[in-house]
Amino acid sequence: MANQDFVGVPSQVDTQALRRGATEIRRLSRGTLFNYIILGAGAILMVVPFIWMVSTSFKPQAETVSFPPRLFPINPTISNYIDVFDRANMGRLYWNTTFVSVIKTIFNIYTSALLGYIFGKFIFRGRDIIFYILLSTWIIPFEVYLIPLYLMTVQVGWANTYTALIVPEIFTVYAMFMFRQFMYTIPTELVDAARIDGAGEWYIFHRIIIPLSKAALFTLIAFYFMWNWNDFLWPLVVIADQDKYVITVGLATFVGEYWSQHGVIMAGASLAIIPILVLFIAVQRFIIEGVVLTGLKG
Amino acid sequence: MIQTIVQKLTGRGSTLRAAEHRFIIIALVPTIIFYAIVKFYPIFFSFFISLHEWSLFGNVSPFVGLDNYALLAKDSLFPKVMWNTMYRTFAGTFLGALFALIVALILNPIKRGSILLRLIYFLPVMTSVIASATIWKWMLQTRFGLLNQLLLMLGIAPVPWLQSTTWAMPSVIAMGIWAGLGFTVIIYLAGLRGIPRDYYESAEIDGANSLQLALKITLPLLKPVVSFVLITGVIGGFSGGFQAIYMMTGGGPLDSTRVLALHIYDYAFERLFMGQAASMSFVLFAIVLVLTLVQFKLQRVDWEL
Repeated sequence: MANQDFVGVPSQVDTQALRRGATEIRRLSRGTLFNYIILGAGAILMVVPFIWMVSTSFKPQAETVSFPPRLFPINPTISNYIDVFDRANMGRLYWNTTFVSVIKTIFNIYTSALLGYIFGKFIFRGRDIIFYILLSTWIIPFEVYLIPLYLMTVQVGWANTYTALIVPEIFTVYAMFMFRQFMYTIPTELVDAARIDGAGEWYIFHRIIIPLSKAALFTLIAFYFMWNWNDFLWPLVVIADQDKYVITVGLATFVGEYWSQHGVIMAGASLAIIPILVLFIAVQRFIIEGVVLTGLKG
Repeated sequence: MIQTIVQKLTGRGSTLRAAEHRFIIIALVPTIIFYAIVKFYPIFFSFFISLHEWSLFGNVSPFVGLDNYALLAKDSLFPKVMWNTMYRTFAGTFLGALFALIVALILNPIKRGSILLRLIYFLPVMTSVIASATIWKWMLQTRFGLLNQLLLMLGIAPVPWLQSTTWAMPSVIAMGIWAGLGFTVIIYLAGLRGIPRDYYESAEIDGANSLQLALKITLPLLKPVVSFVLITGVIGGFSGGFQAIYMMTGGGPLDSTRVLALHIYDYAFERLFMGQAASMSFVLFAIVLVLTLVQFKLQRVDWEL
């Protein structure tokens, strides 16, 4: 199983392993059916909202309000999706959100990797104090920043710009912390050897540290892209111009305007969810393992 | 070439140390300036705002000292907001932690299909809360929502989930548990992996049944993870809930789902009482700070992960 590779259990066959296997088979046959029933019921509860969203999104308005509820529309239609693209300016929302999320994610990951490397692999005076001072901002709820940051943004003339969305969130403490943890798994000898061979510090960071950090890198990129894509409160406050809305704010506004048209609303929700879910399913093994890898040590 | 050999012989030469220093300085100086401007200055600025009657459009923002804080104590709405916040935080955190624990415990021994199941439970975590709250609002709609239609098929009268002061908060909490469950499950699964198999084997040889295994081995050894989940859940809960509540109820009906995060946003950006809102954000800050210190105290050993 994957988790054994992860923990680093030696793979050679020994009697203990065989015994372990036998115990496992016994344990499995006992309670597994019960486990599957409970988990299956739970899984249905987890996906029902998504299924109902998709189902509603293909129904004409009359069918969304008919009783009894039907999973499959009698007259399926894609007109709801066309409506959303027209009325919510969906193409524009996608572009804006992708643009902001990609740039933010690149900054987040690059700065965090760099700082994680510096705090994890160098020894210098004041290192720990600086690290913990930066880290301490992690606990401060965003609501504390909301008002002063907004007023500062207005003051410097960034209100209603992407600069205001991106700049205050270039650096991020969580990824920095995770990279610093990850750096302990990279042998310092490797860095020293490169130095002795005459490699410059930036070369070492870009060509040795970054490639070696792939596991942490991909997981954090996926998470940060998702968080940046789903961000809501700050864009809601800063962006006033409809043309510059990101998808969450666009969807919220759209829902407010067209609430009674259930099919259209659900089509909008589907379109907001789909890109992230596709991305997530494509890299899901990475992510779920990655939560364990970077998030917590059992 | 000669230089390389010399450096190899002498180890870290002085030129190298200088290069390292430059590297560190180039990276750290902008970082520190950034944090000073964007992370530390705003806290003082926010406190400064909270001492004024600060409105976005007013040219004058008179200094009012601690009046904004005194107003919170006198206000009849603020205690209600705090009560709602605590209700949502504690009910959501404890129920969520419990359900996630059950799922993790029965998911852990499963081999076949476990990846698919983990994926399914994790789907809501990846979904934008704005979108999921929209779906929930539709499913909980009084006349045409899926839940009431299903209840009607069972002969149960429709419940106005989001329009009732009794049911609105539980509905919002349920949505929050659904949205966050998968993440907590993954954390528990990581914790369960850390428990050595040998413990179970020896207990089984001694004739322990699965319930005994769960109660005597799994739960005690999982205690640090459970308390981590609970404490971080409570800390996050106090400042959380904004997106779901903004979409599902807007704080209503009759302020029954108005939580602190929504209240701060509403005062600052809808009613434009920025000074008052800043004082509330400081109350939130104080709560979170105290809870975090409690967490450090409780988990001193686990903190350096």
